[in-house]
Amino acid sequence: MSEAGIESRKAPTDAAVAIRNLSKSFDNVEVLRDVNLEVKKGDVVTILGSSGSGKSTLLRCINWLEQPERGSIHIAGERIGTTDDGRAMSVKALARVRAKTGMVFQGFNLWPHLNVLHNVTEAPIHVLGKSRHEAEAHARELLEKVGMSHKMDAYPNTLSGGQKQRVAIARALAMQPEVMLFDEPTSALDPELVGEVLGVIKDLSAEGYTMVIVTHEMAFSRAVSDQVVFLEKGLIIEQADPETFFTNPATERVQKFLERHD
Amino acid sequence: MNNWQILWQARDQFWSGFLSTMTIFGLSISAAFLIGCVMLYLLEGSRPRLAMPLRVFIDGMRMLPFLILAYLLYYGLPGLGIRLDAWWSGIGALAVYHGCYFAEIFRGARLTFPPGQVEAAKAHGFTKGKMFLRLILPQIIMQTRPLLGNQLIYALKDTAFLVIITVQELTAAANSLSGTYFIPTEAFIVVIGFYWAVSIVMEVIIKQCGRFSARRGFDNV
Amino acid sequence: MNASAWHMLLEGAWTTLWISGVSIAMGVTAGLVLALIRIAKIPVVDQVLVLYISLARATPLVTLALFIFLSAPTFGIQLDRSVAGILALTLNTTAFNAEIWRSAFRNFSREQREAAMATGMTPWITFRRIMLPQMLITSLPGLINEMSFLIKGSPAIAVIGIVDLTRVTNRISAVTYEPLPPILVACVLYMAIIGCLVWAQRVAERRANRLAV
Repeated sequence: MSEAGIESRKAPTDAAVAIRNLSKSFDNVEVLRDVNLEVKKGDVVTILGSSGSGKSTLLRCINWLEQPERGSIHIAGERIGTTDDGRAMSVKALARVRAKTGMVFQGFNLWPHLNVLHNVTEAPIHVLGKSRHEAEAHARELLEKVGMSHKMDAYPNTLSGGQKQRVAIARALAMQPEVMLFDEPTSALDPELVGEVLGVIKDLSAEGYTMVIVTHEMAFSRAVSDQVVFLEKGLIIEQADPETFFTNPATERVQKFLERHD
Repeated sequence: MNNWQILWQARDQFWSGFLSTMTIFGLSISAAFLIGCVMLYLLEGSRPRLAMPLRVFIDGMRMLPFLILAYLLYYGLPGLGIRLDAWWSGIGALAVYHGCYFAEIFRGARLTFPPGQVEAAKAHGFTKGKMFLRLILPQIIMQTRPLLGNQLIYALKDTAFLVIITVQELTAAANSLSGTYFIPTEAFIVVIGFYWAVSIVMEVIIKQCGRFSARRGFDNV
Repeated sequence: MNASAWHMLLEGAWTTLWISGVSIAMGVTAGLVLALIRIAKIPVVDQVLVLYISLARATPLVTLALFIFLSAPTFGIQLDRSVAGILALTLNTTAFNAEIWRSAFRNFSREQREAAMATGMTPWITFRRIMLPQMLITSLPGLINEMSFLIKGSPAIAVIGIVDLTRVTNRISAVTYEPLPPILVACVLYMAIIGCLVWAQRVAERRANRLAV
C-alpha cells in the first residue's frame, strides 16, 4: 500500500474513535440517526439510554459487527468497514482494523473449548502473529491484572459470571487495542458479582485506557466517565461531562431518566 | 433395441421384485411394530424378572448388523433343527431386528412420559393394561413419529440385504437382469429409483401423520 | 471350530474393520466438505447435493455396492472389489455425515463468532480456530453413531464377493458343515466392535455436554 493510500484514510483528528453522520436502520426502523461522536485518546465515554435507544447498536457499529447505512467511523485515524468511496472493505482489511478494538460482551462469549489462558492468547497468536511464549507471558500479566491468574487452566464452564467477564476483559486487552468497547458488561451478572467487574474496569480507566462503555450503572458511569452520552431513539440528545450530566442535565428527558434510575 | 427398451420388456421382473420387496417390508414392519409395543409393555416392569433380560436382548440386537441376524435364522437355525425358507427367515429377522429398534425408540420416549398422567389414570381406576393401551402407547407413538419414520426407511433398505440369502426381491431382480442382458447401469438406476420413490412417499405420509399429532400438541419433537 | 476357522474369522473381522475404517475416514472428511459447500449455497451445486443426499439416504447399501461394482466396467473402469466396497460405503456415509456437520455449523453460536471477529480474526481463522474445534466436539457423538451404522451396514459388501466378517461364516461352514458356531462367534465380534463405538459415543456425549454450558 502506498503512503498516499494510508494518508487518505486518516480522520481529520487524532481521536481514538471518530464517528461521523452515522445512520442505521433495522427493517425500516431507524435505530441510529446521524450520530456524531468523538472519543479522545485516554478518555472514558459511557453511553446511557433506555433499552431500545440504539446504544448497543452504536457500540456494535464501532467494530462493524453491525453495518451502518451511512456515515463513517475511524479507529485511531483508520476508517473501518467501508473505503472513502463507499465500497465495502476486504474481509482481511476489516479484520485488521477490528483488531485495533477490543470488545467485551454482555454474555461474555468466551470460547468454551479453550481454557482461560488460551482464550486470552488465541487472538494474539493467530491474528497478531505473536509467538506462543510472548502471548502467554502477556496473558499471565493481564490475568493477574483482572485477578484471574489462579484460574488459568480452568475451562469457561467452571467459572462464575463475574470470573468469565474478567477473563473476557483480559482477552480483549490482550490485543492491545486502541479502544475498549464494553456492551453492558454487567447486565448478565448476579447483583453480588457486578462489583468485581466494575472494579476491574475502573482500574483500567485509571491506567489511561480509552474506553466506550454502554451501561445501566449510573454511579459507575458518574465515577469513571470523562464524557457521558445520552441516546434516545437513535439520537444523541445530551453529551456532557459527568458532573454536569448528573447534577445539572440540560434536557427534561435526561432529568426524568435520572430520577427513575436514582 | 436400446437398453431402456430391453428393461421395459423385462418390466414384469421388476414389478414382481418390487411387489416382493413391498410384501416383505409390509409384513415385517407390521410385526416389528407389534413386537416393539409388546416389548415396551414388558419393560413397564410388571414382570421385573423379564425386563432385565429383555433390555440386554434389545441392546444386543442393536449392536448387530442386520445381515448376521438373517444368517443366524437362515443358515444357523437348521443346526438346531428349525428350518425356515429364505423368505420367512428374512421376514422373521427383519421383524425381530427392527422390533428391537422400535422398542428402544419407545423406551426413550417412555422415560420422559409425565408421571402425573399415570397417577391421574390410576386415580380414575384404569387397569395397568388399559392404561398402557389407551394412554401411554398412543402418546408415545405420536411423540416418536419422526424417529419411527426414519426407522421405516432403515427397514426398507435392510430388505435389500435379503438378496444375499437368495430372496427374490427388488435388488435381486436388478442383479439377475443385469446379468442376463449386461445392462447393469440402467437396471440399477431403475431399482434405486424405486427405493427412492418409496422412501419419499413414506416421508410424506409420516409428515401428514404429523398433522394429526400436531393438533394434539405433539409437533415439537 | 478348529484353529483355521478361528483364523478365517479374525481375517474376516479385519477385512470388515479396515474397509469400514477407510470409508469412515473418507466419509467424515467428505461430509465436512459437502456441508461447507452446502452452507455456501451455490445455486445449481446446492440442488445437486440435496438430490445426492436424498438418494444416498434412500438407497440400500447392497444395491449401491452392486450398482457400482457391476456398472463401472460398462464405463470402461475396472474396479477392484475392495475399492467398489469402500466407494459404496463412503458414498452412503458421506451423505449422513454431511447433515451432521451442517447442523453443527448451523447451530453454532452467533455470539461466539462475533467475539472472534471482534478480536480481528478473519472468517477463515474464526472457522479454523473457534468453530471447527467445537463443531468436532458437538458432532462427534452423531459421527460415532453414524460409524456404528456403517459397520452394521458393512456386510452389504459381501454381495460383491468381499469376504468380510459375515461372509466368512459361509466359507467356514462350507468346510465344517456347522454354520451355527461361526455365526455366533461373528455376532460376538460385531458386538465387541460396535460396543466399543457405543462406549466411545457415550464419552463423546459427555464431552459435548460439558461444552454446552
